[in-house]
Amino acid sequence: MVKYTNYLMLLPGLLLCVFFLVIPLGIIIRIGLAESVSTAEFEIHGLTLQNYVRYFTSPQTIDILGNTFGTALITCFICFLVAYPFAYFLTFYIENQKIKSYIISLLMVPFLIDWNIRTIAWIPILGDKGIVNSTLMSLGLIKEPISLLFGQAGLYIIWLQTYVLFMMFPIYLALNRIDPDLIQAAKVLKAPPHRVFYDVIFKLSLPGVVCGWIFVFVSTLGDFLTPGLWAGGFQTLGLSISTFFGKNVWPYACTLSTVMIVIALAALYILLKMVDIKKLIYES
Amino acid sequence: MGEIIVAKDIVKWYGKEVLALNGISFGVDEGEFYVIIGPSGCGKSTLMKIMAGILDYDSGGLYINGKNMKGVPAHKRDLSLMLETYAVFPHMSVFDNIAFGLRMIGKDKGYIKRKVTESLELVGLSGLEKRSPVELSGGQRQRVALARSLVIEPSVLLLDEPLSHVDYRLQRKLMEDFKTLHKKVGITFVLTTHVQEHALILADRVMVMNTGVIEQIGTPEEVYRTPRTVFSARFVGDINLVPGEVVSKDDAEYAVKTEIGELKALASGETDMLGKKLVYAIRPEFIEVGKEARSCKNKHKAKFVGYYYLGNFVECVFNVENKVDLKVSVPPETAGNLKLGKKYAIGWRSNDVALLEKPSVIEGLDVEEVIYGK
Repeated sequence: MVKYTNYLMLLPGLLLCVFFLVIPLGIIIRIGLAESVSTAEFEIHGLTLQNYVRYFTSPQTIDILGNTFGTALITCFICFLVAYPFAYFLTFYIENQKIKSYIISLLMVPFLIDWNIRTIAWIPILGDKGIVNSTLMSLGLIKEPISLLFGQAGLYIIWLQTYVLFMMFPIYLALNRIDPDLIQAAKVLKAPPHRVFYDVIFKLSLPGVVCGWIFVFVSTLGDFLTPGLWAGGFQTLGLSISTFFGKNVWPYACTLSTVMIVIALAALYILLKMVDIKKLIYES
Repeated sequence: MGEIIVAKDIVKWYGKEVLALNGISFGVDEGEFYVIIGPSGCGKSTLMKIMAGILDYDSGGLYINGKNMKGVPAHKRDLSLMLETYAVFPHMSVFDNIAFGLRMIGKDKGYIKRKVTESLELVGLSGLEKRSPVELSGGQRQRVALARSLVIEPSVLLLDEPLSHVDYRLQRKLMEDFKTLHKKVGITFVLTTHVQEHALILADRVMVMNTGVIEQIGTPEEVYRTPRTVFSARFVGDINLVPGEVVSKDDAEYAVKTEIGELKALASGETDMLGKKLVYAIRPEFIEVGKEARSCKNKHKAKFVGYYYLGNFVECVFNVENKVDLKVSVPPETAGNLKLGKKYAIGWRSNDVALLEKPSVIEGLDVEEVIYGK
């Protein structure tokens, strides 16, 4: 007999989900379908699709969507290119466990520093009079300082710094889980080094790679502060949402939020379809 | 038929403190079933990995098919290794696992399909091509690993502890399978184990290893009948050991003075043992009880003090002069007539005795410690 009391243990988690996920999402979707909202009394007026019509007929929509998802994907890719070799090196080339844990603790340090300070700290490095520009100028490689901070380059540099660890840790954990015997078996079965890497190591680390992509993708989609501060007039969906909320135009902001959630979920679905995570997670 | 693997003085260190292999030299004949036996931690897996090219050695030489293997990576060696954990790729189907090696050496699709089907048949896994290894039993996974190693047609197949993770009954069947397979494919097999029975049943030749060194190499019978050291004697089979000193030599027969009087042993080696302190060793099944004992060179009156029933025979313990306990293998029908506490005549022939000069090839080693742990 299944004890119904066992299901009681689900209750706290379930309540948490309902109150902090389902209800707020429901409210956002409902407001997105409203004509107007009086924010003071929180009264929702009317039921209409006009916000969606307005959004999808707006000439800017395609550009903003392109910017948003384009930058998120490019950030994922850059983070992946930096994180994978690093995680690989940490897993296979550092044998001393002590040194390994020191390096991992060092990687945590940026998280102990406030986001604002971390971001502002880029100015003396990448700013017009920063280390990079002054070095390049004194070497005579450039005459005018190049704009590294304000613009897309700066955005990617800062996003890389902020999110690369979210890519690195899942990959590192996945690489660490690989049984060294599998690598040895591949070598004995005549696999040259590049095939050992691709057919065994990389494929077995894919769950970590997918996790990393999801973390970075979702984080960059939702981050409107960084592009707002550094990207200089570069418009993203997150920025639009914050702008309309700032102007107290709740229905339209909620419409945009709903669109963002739907597209993000669709992207995740495609990502998970491409790599069957269930098939890759195994009992060793 | 020449030697397909030749190792000369191989030395391997792990870090600066652990000497895993201390000057290992041996040769494996082509087509031979070679078994390396030794306790866990003796370096036999290290030796296998060095032969396979997964590990490098510090000094010495390794030759396969006459070619020096120094610096030759694993994928360029003409051999295959089945690891102790089987290491079946969890992210590939049974088919892809077996096809892996063939794809790596660039065989075409039709050839791969035919070969994989053939080798699945060989190991009795036909019809399971599409299964994921996660859905297989331990035994089936081992057979996938075996098929995967054989399908690339190596000259030598290395099997690292293939019998240690299967239950006793399956071990017997697997040993028979390995024997048949070895005859069928006709290549050289090198197998490691820590169980004496495996070595005696499977091997054409046995290498007995002890922490980083070779104690003895020979046919199973040689190792069993004429062990060279106490370690070899104890590791392969049960044996009675009585310490003593050689006091005289009459023709080819030595007299060894021990606690229980002078015991006779036929000299076998070339070296003269006169005056040496050594261990007098006799296997339990070579000792006779009752009437048959009368015709033996070595005769004693001994008290029957205990027994272990083992089904096909009974291991009886006889005490000689209140000093030495000797184990004797007795058929159950004879053992049934023996009464505990009574004295019987026991005896053995001097040509069944081994005289062991050294506990081990390692100087100053405590044999008990190596075999039973600290």
